[in-house]
Amino acid sequence: MAKILEDLKLTVIAGVVLTVIMIFATNAIYDSQMSAPEKAATDMMNNM
Amino acid sequence: MEAELFIIRYLHVLSGIMWIGILWYFNFVQIPSMPKIPDDQKPAISKVIAPEALFWFRWGAFFTVFFGLALAFRSGYMMDALMLREPNIGIGMWLGIIMAINVWFVIWPAQKIALGIVDADAALKPAMGRRAMLFSRTNTMLSIPMLASMISVQNPIM
Repeated sequence: MAKILEDLKLTVIAGVVLTVIMIFATNAIYDSQMSAPEKAATDMMNNM
Repeated sequence: MEAELFIIRYLHVLSGIMWIGILWYFNFVQIPSMPKIPDDQKPAISKVIAPEALFWFRWGAFFTVFFGLALAFRSGYMMDALMLREPNIGIGMWLGIIMAINVWFVIWPAQKIALGIVDADAALKPAMGRRAMLFSRTNTMLSIPMLASMISVQNPIM
């Protein structure tokens, strides 16, 4: 980890990677909190 | 209520720009420039500019979190966000809180020793300077998803 943080470019790349992971994690948390009817409605909207 | 929320949000953003602006100045400008500065001119950075920047940096961090939590509390979503029932803003809030803890409890104490602001064993200075740099870099890395989380509240990505 220190090797990444010592290099500014690698630090920025790691930040971007973390951002992508965070976007998917946020989506997964939202999905896990949805009730079954809400999830069905969302899936239907996404497939339209 | 609307005016109050506007003022709190405005102060939150102003403090945040102060904090992250100086964080990025340290990491994108000052640290990479230090090896290029002649030794006799280095005290201008370590004795004058860095201590002044650190003052605005740490208080910017404090007031960003203070006004951010005040905004979340007055808007009624603080607990939902902190419990990640509102993960968009909640993840950003936690990243910001972790970063502010790094500033006040790791970076600032280490910088006080590294810059000679407090008396300490001279042998400790290089290690403290490295610790401050690594945690400052950690905050630079975390600032990228933190800011993405903050703006995703207005513009959801997925």
